[in-house]
Amino acid sequence: MIGTVYVLVTGPGGTVSASQLVAGARSLGRPVTAVAVGAEDVAGDAALAGADRVWWFGDQSGRPPEAFAADAAKAVAAEPGLVLTGRAPADRAIAGAIAAAMTAPVVVCATAVEVGAGSSGLVTGPAAGGLVEQTVEYASPVVLVGPALAPAGAAAGGGGAASATEAEMPPGPLSEAHPYPVEQASLTPAGGQKANLGEAAVVVSAGRGFKAQEDLALALALAEAVGGELACSRPLAEGLGWMPKDRYVGISGNQIAPEVYIAIGISGQLQHLGGVRGAKTVVAVNSDASAPIMTAADLVLCGDLYNLIPAITAAVK
Amino acid sequence: MKIAVAYKWAADPSEASVSPDGQVDFSRAKPKISEYDAVAIAMGRALADAAGAELVGISAGGSAAATPLALKAALSRGLDSAVVVQSPDLESAGTFQTAQALAAAVRHLGDVTLVVCGDSSIDAGAQMVPAVLGGLLGWPALTDVGAAQLAAADNRLTAERSIAEGIQTLVATLPIVISAAAGALAAPAPGMKDILAAAKKPSQVLSPADLSLELAAAAPVTAQVKVSGPARRCVQIDTTDPATAAAELLAALAAAGTPIGGRS
Ligand SMILES: Cc1cc2nc3c(=O)[nH]c(=O)nc-3n(C[C@H](O)[C@H](O)[C@H](O)COP(=O)(O)OP(=O)(O)OC[C@H]3O[C@@H](n4cnc5c(N)ncnc54)[C@H](O)[C@@H]3O)c2cc1C
Repeated sequence: MIGTVYVLVTGPGGTVSASQLVAGARSLGRPVTAVAVGAEDVAGDAALAGADRVWWFGDQSGRPPEAFAADAAKAVAAEPGLVLTGRAPADRAIAGAIAAAMTAPVVVCATAVEVGAGSSGLVTGPAAGGLVEQTVEYASPVVLVGPALAPAGAAAGGGGAASATEAEMPPGPLSEAHPYPVEQASLTPAGGQKANLGEAAVVVSAGRGFKAQEDLALALALAEAVGGELACSRPLAEGLGWMPKDRYVGISGNQIAPEVYIAIGISGQLQHLGGVRGAKTVVAVNSDASAPIMTAADLVLCGDLYNLIPAITAAVK
Repeated sequence: MKIAVAYKWAADPSEASVSPDGQVDFSRAKPKISEYDAVAIAMGRALADAAGAELVGISAGGSAAATPLALKAALSRGLDSAVVVQSPDLESAGTFQTAQALAAAVRHLGDVTLVVCGDSSIDAGAQMVPAVLGGLLGWPALTDVGAAQLAAADNRLTAERSIAEGIQTLVATLPIVISAAAGALAAPAPGMKDILAAAKKPSQVLSPADLSLELAAAAPVTAQVKVSGPARRCVQIDTTDPATAAAELLAALAAAGTPIGGRS
């Protein structure tokens, strides 16, 4: 398939769905090949999302997608092309193997892509921690990781295979695959609701200004009162482990554009603010008048969150 | 057996300034061991101690990465030795070139069966070097590892991580590349004893030519613009009385056209 654009999917865990990726790839006006890695239903989802062709790399052994990185990379590198994928751990692991096999540059969170003749093109994406946006001219295929070209809620158009059974399986029978010796010993499903920060009009976000996990009840009460979602800064999700990882905001996490973003006890480091540039109104509640968030917010409440948040929640009610 | 830890000597972009025409000035930002790479070194140290392995730091960068200051900072975090691949072409290298240089360092060392990387560097922050490095070495890569154990005798690594689907435990046969989750463990600042000990540890600075490495050409940047986002108003609300402040906040939000709580 000359000039195909690859969509790499590894499972439902990512923040970008197979149909968003296929829709993004379609917008480039090229045939779309889905590279489905892992469980068989991943390939089914990719076919249903409307890819023209689906390659499935996986087996019924319950091996994680990472085990098939070399097989997927070899197949893509044999017919190099632009690759689009999400940012889940398995997406990144396989995208990296593909980049290595194609000698391809990697661009994370690209904001614009223009494909030219062959596999050349212009890709725009963040650089220097999000301080600037760079447009780079590539003469060969690029691996795009993160929500490039993925309109939220987009459904892929027709033209693709209707079901997994119609989809083309990878070149060469899977028995010739050489999975890496990586096995999943156990998976304890995550409790709680899957976050949907992207769609919330109001996001209430908690940072290290909270002294204990129980105190997050204050932020949750406010989020519930305003019908919004609860989010956090990265240290609360990674390190402290007070919040699930899919709820943190920033350049490495969710990039959101709510009507109102309420940052409570968050200092407002560059890496955090990169996730809320698109917010319409930013409210900061922080006891430190010199915290960076105080100059990056529209409405600033300098004071103790433990006094202010209950008062705001009461006022909303 | 050797365990390698990849680290970057990098400056925090939040200390840099950007001119209106998009030029980033890092001259006032002091480079250091990239925040999450310190976590990787701590994880590597614990694994090496448990397995009786040698812990070697590997890094790729420009001239700053090979200075005594940079080497000492890395070695004082608990590495046994360090290898830096240095070249002007690695000064602001992309993911692919960085991974190329690190792969060459791993091959140069020989006897490495595990590479530990940080989650992401403080400047580029792409979270992609571990995977490309694994690809170049022909090894699997597992990112976001919160806890790892080595059974060196039977060449196995057990890794636990938190992914969207839940808490996953994986068992892999070496060799492998892993990246430590951002908050995997605490990486305390080195003490005076560590800094003194670092001065006596061996290190090696190599050029790509020393490693017979040909770095991929960097693609040309055709445009670079400052990312500013919308200007924020920074309106201060008096918080002397929390209830009054709350009422004022709701009124201000409504006036801004973004009411919360169904009032307008
Ligand atoms: C490569 C890289 C990527 C990163 N990516 C992200 C990312 O995507 N998202 C992210 O969030 N971070 C990210 N970080 C981390 C980031 O640099 C900051 O360390 C982090 O955002 C800080 O979290 P925080 O604001 O909650 O904590 P802190 O910086 O510790 O701030 C806590 C704030 O709470 C305030 N406070 C304390 N007590 C009270 C009180 N009683 N009432 C009110 N205020 C109070 C303090 O004044 C302070 O401003 C990244 C870092 C690196 C190196």
